[in-house]
Amino acid sequence: MKHMELVETIMKCNRCAACHDVCPTYKISGDEFSVARGRLRLLRMGLENQINLDAEPELERFVNECLLCKACEVNCPSNVPTTQIISDIRARHTAKKGLPLPKRFLYRGFFSNPRRLNLARKLARLYQKSGAQWLIKQAGIMKESNNLMPDMPNFSVRDNLPFVLNEMPEAKHKVAYFLGCSINQFFSNVGIATIKVLQANDCAVIVPELHCCGAPHQSAGDLEEYKRLARYNLDKLSELDVEAIIVDCATCGAILKEYVELFEEETEYREKAVKIKNLLADISSYLLQLGYSHGEKEIACTVTYHDPCHSVRGLKVSDASREILKNIPGISFVEMREADMCCGGAGSYGIFHPDISRKILQRKMNNYQGTGASILVTTCPACMMQLKYGMRTYDISGQVKHLVEILAESYGI
Amino acid sequence: MLNKSLVNSLKQIVGSENVVTGRIPLFTYSYDASLFPGRPDVVVFPTTTEMVCALFHFAAEQGLNVTPRGAGTCLSGGAVASEGGIVISMNKMNRIIDINQVNRTILVEAGVINKSIQAAAEPFGLMFAPDPASLNVSTIGGNIAENAGGIRGVKYGCTKDHVLGLEVVIPSGEVVKTGQLLSISDAQIDLSYFLCGSEGTLGIVTKALLALTPINPEVVTMTAVFNDLGDAGDCVADIIARGVTPTTMEIMDNTLIKAVEDYAKLGLPKDAEALLLLEVDGFSSELKTQVPSIIEAFQKNRAKNYSIAGNEQERQALWKARRSANGALGKLKPSMVVQDVVVPRDRLAAMLRNVSALAKKYGIIIAQLAHAGDGNLHPHLLYDHRVPQEAEVIEHVCDEIFKEALAQGGTLSGEHGIGLEKVKYMPLAFSQESISYMKQLKNAFDPESHFNPGKLLP
Repeated sequence: MKHMELVETIMKCNRCAACHDVCPTYKISGDEFSVARGRLRLLRMGLENQINLDAEPELERFVNECLLCKACEVNCPSNVPTTQIISDIRARHTAKKGLPLPKRFLYRGFFSNPRRLNLARKLARLYQKSGAQWLIKQAGIMKESNNLMPDMPNFSVRDNLPFVLNEMPEAKHKVAYFLGCSINQFFSNVGIATIKVLQANDCAVIVPELHCCGAPHQSAGDLEEYKRLARYNLDKLSELDVEAIIVDCATCGAILKEYVELFEEETEYREKAVKIKNLLADISSYLLQLGYSHGEKEIACTVTYHDPCHSVRGLKVSDASREILKNIPGISFVEMREADMCCGGAGSYGIFHPDISRKILQRKMNNYQGTGASILVTTCPACMMQLKYGMRTYDISGQVKHLVEILAESYGI
Repeated sequence: MLNKSLVNSLKQIVGSENVVTGRIPLFTYSYDASLFPGRPDVVVFPTTTEMVCALFHFAAEQGLNVTPRGAGTCLSGGAVASEGGIVISMNKMNRIIDINQVNRTILVEAGVINKSIQAAAEPFGLMFAPDPASLNVSTIGGNIAENAGGIRGVKYGCTKDHVLGLEVVIPSGEVVKTGQLLSISDAQIDLSYFLCGSEGTLGIVTKALLALTPINPEVVTMTAVFNDLGDAGDCVADIIARGVTPTTMEIMDNTLIKAVEDYAKLGLPKDAEALLLLEVDGFSSELKTQVPSIIEAFQKNRAKNYSIAGNEQERQALWKARRSANGALGKLKPSMVVQDVVVPRDRLAAMLRNVSALAKKYGIIIAQLAHAGDGNLHPHLLYDHRVPQEAEVIEHVCDEIFKEALAQGGTLSGEHGIGLEKVKYMPLAFSQESISYMKQLKNAFDPESHFNPGKLLP
């Protein structure tokens, strides 16, 4: 947004405080500078030159502490697009000062580069298996990233493709699967399950070679890199002849959808983005739309569901995932309190804001324990990382699974 | 700004994590939901009554002003430190201490959110009747200070009708208990009623014993459409006169209907002059006689048509228009002042018409929403704050609305409080003797006038 547009958008906030009711950072702190209303006030003062928007470390901290979970936005009677505003200000800060070194290292260095990310997984696995992790843990350094790191699989999804993908020339449907970085590298079981479930429902699957969706870069305000990645993906995706583009990562899905707004002023890419948006489908909604076959294998356990922010408020999917869970034979579904509240994962938020992230996570885990469920199901790898971390930290004997993992299990595949 | 040793004293009282002195974070405590600014020197978050007492002693020693704050949702400027000093934010003193199903009472600390009280009561089939629009976020301390009402107010009354007893710290730093928290006996001068609505000028409520109300088993929701705004007002008065007391009677005028329809596309009749949303609750035997009586009132007062929700889904659909009001108005103009006048029910029709006439006379947009059942009007005056003339006109029209309400035998505030906003109108609404009597009461509690200065009393 342009300067004046930003000011006018912020002015729509009539300070009713409806955001208090849903903002995770406010719920755990009770501080007015940790909620949309307070953040917006500071930004407005900055934009109106009452304070220096670019040189107030506290202001920058409060802006960066936003999870971008969109909860305030959907609850706002005046429809103030707080996530968009915060993202714009972060982009402004990044454009002026550059990315802080750790973020630059992590996002541009790894997420922007599939080969390096692949190498990182291998090194991380080596690190976990060799005993080096144990050593470093004892030394107490790299605590947050250590704790958050999932158990690294031996092979990525892409490594596995030759063994998983079937030639299905007679298939009724032809779809592309958008394989996100985190699923590919850290949760290869999920990606493989997605492909198998799609194939079991008579879908021929192709898995195009793409770049990162750009979510980490967008959240850090690295607009330039975000656009570069988006353009690449749009070029590749728009060449495909498929009836749908399937996502099993809520974040990738929500970001792909946002490409339309990203290229508001570039007709060519905007058109491509609109086309992709129309083809985009999250795995749950797509299966329901197909009239998918229900699994036959009984899975006798109690499960609950955590709504990823990017699913419930980004893709606007929440009922579909629950419906699929409830259809699995043997499953008893219990709703969790505040199921749609952010888990504090928010991409790499936990690494950069460990204290806030942990308090939000604790609330989530308490709500989970209140259900008595043995499996906590969700549809986003970043949430999975955070929730698994929660299980370990609070010594909870439950499992975290992606919806497609449990669905594939009921298929016996 | 306070000097370092004073800040350290405050940190000793409430803990260093509960003191905010930074320049930037203090800006986020310089507003509430009104348009009035006020920058505190420091914000503190006590978590016990003892801390509040210690803070009062400290403030008295230093001669500092004290402004109580809850969630900061006040619409009349009550929660802003317009004259600086300490803001005592009660939102972190938020425990539900006890709930008693048999006695239908709940004992809570002042920072508990209204919604949390509703959630605690609901499993017992009970509710806390006051339901201000801000109930999801506003604290009970703020509800008591402002004597908050709500949509159910016509049947169930305002906050003061549900307060059984209070624990309050008065400016001298002493803890006073009132009502049933003092003694179960009625043989006392009960200050509870008097403290409700005192807007934080007499001390700070720390705990409250509240009455809970059974949730009625049946509810019927209906809407009626009128060709004339006054007819809708008369219809409301007529329904009450018939001995039926609905829980809700909300009138929306044509400006609001059109705005909501353009915004939410609900299929509302854009040519209608008024929409009445009405809800009755009770046992089914009660509703059997009440609903036909209401329909008769619709017909007698020339309602064009009406509808009754047959199930929960239809009920939500009827409510949707009312709930979309705020968002819809935001689309028309960037700024808005919401007024909160009250008139006797039999003057409702005249008042609604006269406010519409004022909008026409001054060429501005006024969207009218009224908690019509208790004669409480909320004219929403829309304008563009970037155009200085518009802001001036709005202020002038507000003056006229107040004068009109007083001329109709009404008063300045239904539920938003006087605060900073309406203090200048107090001499119009009350006689010199009444105001001086109120000032004597204030003086008995707060002789130095350090508590929420500049608010409520001229």
